[in-house]
Amino acid sequence: MEKVSMVFRKKNCMGCHACEVACKQEHGLGVGPRLVQVLEKSPDYIPIYCHHCAKAPCKEACPVEAISRNEQGIVLIDNDLCIGCRECLEACPFGAMQFEDSQEIAVKCDLCVHRLEDNRRPACMTVCPTGCIYLSGKKSIAAVFEKATRGGSK
Amino acid sequence: MSEVKFVKTVCRSCHGGCGVIAHVKDGKVIKVEGDPESPISYGTMCAKGLAITQLAYHPDRVLYPMQKTNGDWKRISWDEALDTVASKFKDVIAEYGSEAIIVGQGTGRDYESHFSRFGNLLGTPNILTAGHMCYLSRIGATLTTCGRHPAIDYANNPKCIVMWACNPQWTNPDEYKGVSFWRAYEKGAKLIVIDPRKGFLAKRADLWLQLRPGTDAALAMGFFSVIIEEELYDREFVSQYIHGWDAFVERVRKDYTLKRVEETTWVKQDLIRKAARLYATTKPAGIHWGVPTEQTNNCTDFTRTAVGLMAVTGNLDAPGGNVFHVPPPVRKVAEFSAHTELPKEQVKKRLGGEQYKLAARMTFITPKCAWDAILTEKPYPVKAGYLIGTNPVVSRANAGEVYQALKKLDFLVVQDFFLTPTAELADIFLPAGTWLEQNHVAENWKFHGYVLARQKVVEIGECWQDHKIFMELGKKMGQQWWDSVEDALDWLLEPTGLTWDEFKKKGYLHGDQKYYKHLEKGFSTPTGKVELYSTIFEKWGVDPLPKYTELPESPISQPDMAKKYPYILNAGLRTPTFFHSANRQIPWLREIRPDPIVEIHPQTASQHNIEEGDWVWIESPRGKAKERAKLNDGIDPRVIVAEHGWWYPEIQSSGHGWDVSNINMLTDNSHESMDPVMGATNLRVLLCNISRCEDE
Repeated sequence: MEKVSMVFRKKNCMGCHACEVACKQEHGLGVGPRLVQVLEKSPDYIPIYCHHCAKAPCKEACPVEAISRNEQGIVLIDNDLCIGCRECLEACPFGAMQFEDSQEIAVKCDLCVHRLEDNRRPACMTVCPTGCIYLSGKKSIAAVFEKATRGGSK
Repeated sequence: MSEVKFVKTVCRSCHGGCGVIAHVKDGKVIKVEGDPESPISYGTMCAKGLAITQLAYHPDRVLYPMQKTNGDWKRISWDEALDTVASKFKDVIAEYGSEAIIVGQGTGRDYESHFSRFGNLLGTPNILTAGHMCYLSRIGATLTTCGRHPAIDYANNPKCIVMWACNPQWTNPDEYKGVSFWRAYEKGAKLIVIDPRKGFLAKRADLWLQLRPGTDAALAMGFFSVIIEEELYDREFVSQYIHGWDAFVERVRKDYTLKRVEETTWVKQDLIRKAARLYATTKPAGIHWGVPTEQTNNCTDFTRTAVGLMAVTGNLDAPGGNVFHVPPPVRKVAEFSAHTELPKEQVKKRLGGEQYKLAARMTFITPKCAWDAILTEKPYPVKAGYLIGTNPVVSRANAGEVYQALKKLDFLVVQDFFLTPTAELADIFLPAGTWLEQNHVAENWKFHGYVLARQKVVEIGECWQDHKIFMELGKKMGQQWWDSVEDALDWLLEPTGLTWDEFKKKGYLHGDQKYYKHLEKGFSTPTGKVELYSTIFEKWGVDPLPKYTELPESPISQPDMAKKYPYILNAGLRTPTFFHSANRQIPWLREIRPDPIVEIHPQTASQHNIEEGDWVWIESPRGKAKERAKLNDGIDPRVIVAEHGWWYPEIQSSGHGWDVSNINMLTDNSHESMDPVMGATNLRVLLCNISRCEDE
């Protein structure tokens, strides 16, 4: 199966936070865990999100192998296996791993795997007004940037 | 387990218009998604709209009518509520006349037609809206200048976009949403951004003009100065379609040399020249402008000057410029509103009607006149109020005065979702429906050529959509209405040949767009031309030519005050999560922006020993508010930028901290500070000082 990866073009993120709320709604999350989060350093906006790393530090840090990488390359966490030790939170270089206090488990972006199965885009991507979120079917995200630059996209 | 049903509708979490697909299960909305078929939003949605389920099903939402007796709220039936309101209103009318009742709204939940009709049939000329300084003020100014509101035509790809005091990516979604702008911009349009603050768009702009807040009208005159000097205008258009060109040119040459404009606006002459050239020589070019230009004493004059720029550069009603969109043949809001039913003797009693002539012509009053009449009983007593979807103790200028005025009313009805600080002052609370609970021919008042089907997805508690409340209360007052909300919609749609049920299935209608309509019939003004010299204003005894008047409170106009209050406060920074005073109780949104933010230049902050995240007192001669510091080197060190609309729903005591972080504790609403014909409040620019909160 072809691997997928997601990337935010930071330059085009204008800090509307719609992706955050769409994600919370899609995953039924309340206040606390933010699987995608946009930091504001006006006039710049910095999206924090899971990069589904090929060599995922969260996965390597997990002592109970609750984190796995599926055949599409999506890094997933099994809620039933998670012991809530937070090793993965510390290991993630992006700050993308989150903690759900009410269940005392780590949670993370699953790239809306249930939507991908239905051939629908991840929830965050559907709402972005500048289209700064890209989902690539290719292993390399470099191609996305190259295409965006060549296509005259500002 | 029941199936999930999908219902198409239209958002109204702000001025609205975005297409939505609501997911309904067991009679409850479980999720909303953007509608990819929407001609307005193309499937996107913003944070506010996406959070509607948290608003609609919020535990604090009031789901039934309530009456306050001896300070305690008690649930009552709709019949009891409407009978009580009708009987109180009748008593007030009998003793003091209909004009003693103020009917007021905020930015509205798309019920302007019903709201105005209720007021007119009640016989009160005292209709309070945000219109004196938000949107309707631009409609008024454009009506008198060129006959109709010219909205930028993104659909035809402007080659140059002037984003003037506006950030459609976050806010001000009147005709167009950020996504329409973005599509045009991505096709390669040049971008000129006029903004005192370096935001996302300023960063990307070809030219960014960082002006002194509130001097937009002077800057527009600076554009004209270049266009006239370099003869960058369309000679043929000017000679045929501009009224008062020579007089206008004389004024620009005399009063608006670039040197003087630079002194006034802080924008360098060469930058003004470059921007004016880029706008005037790129075809087509459109101006997209926002409310900060309206919320000053120069409200009307800025809009008139901006229309002048569109006209003389040949961009007025030109594809890709600023155009008069042709609406579908739906009956107009004005017709539904029954303005002609308001007796002439009542029209004459409109508070401030003689002074604010353009506001009066637009059928509303400036709020200051209402507070004055309540507090002083002059020119006559005002005894009752009916406030719908508005929280004036937080969102109106000089909040302290507003609070005193509302407290003094004998009888106040508030129609809203929550017990806001304003609603707490009421005697009767009427629970309104959200946009998920509304059937309406939406956006009929906008100038983008569309009407959209907002259809009811669910009913929640005993809440009624506002339209139905106006209707049923109106009937109790003996007014002429339709049997049902949907019957009224059938009447609105009649000229289109569609019923509400048919329209609902269709989703939207678009007008039959034509351009350059003046070639056939001129402009809809007394002279048939674009009136840079307004014959209407001349008749009113007001300066017929636009100009820049120095802001009522600035280091230039108030040098003594500026010694104690040395900074220019740019009040009312918009956020992508809140809509004025709304949404502070919505968990998803409040998590993103937990605190009110005041932006301070790092250099200024360090002078006051303020660090990022500190609580800061912002103070003006009228009052103070505290907000949390965010350092921003994208603003001028002389300028402080503060958010508005803050109260704390989580504070359980009465008032919910309405006066703690409320920037309108600082703002001024004196008559001297307002636009002379529109009564626009000078909300955005005043003098202030700052200090670190020591008790935090």
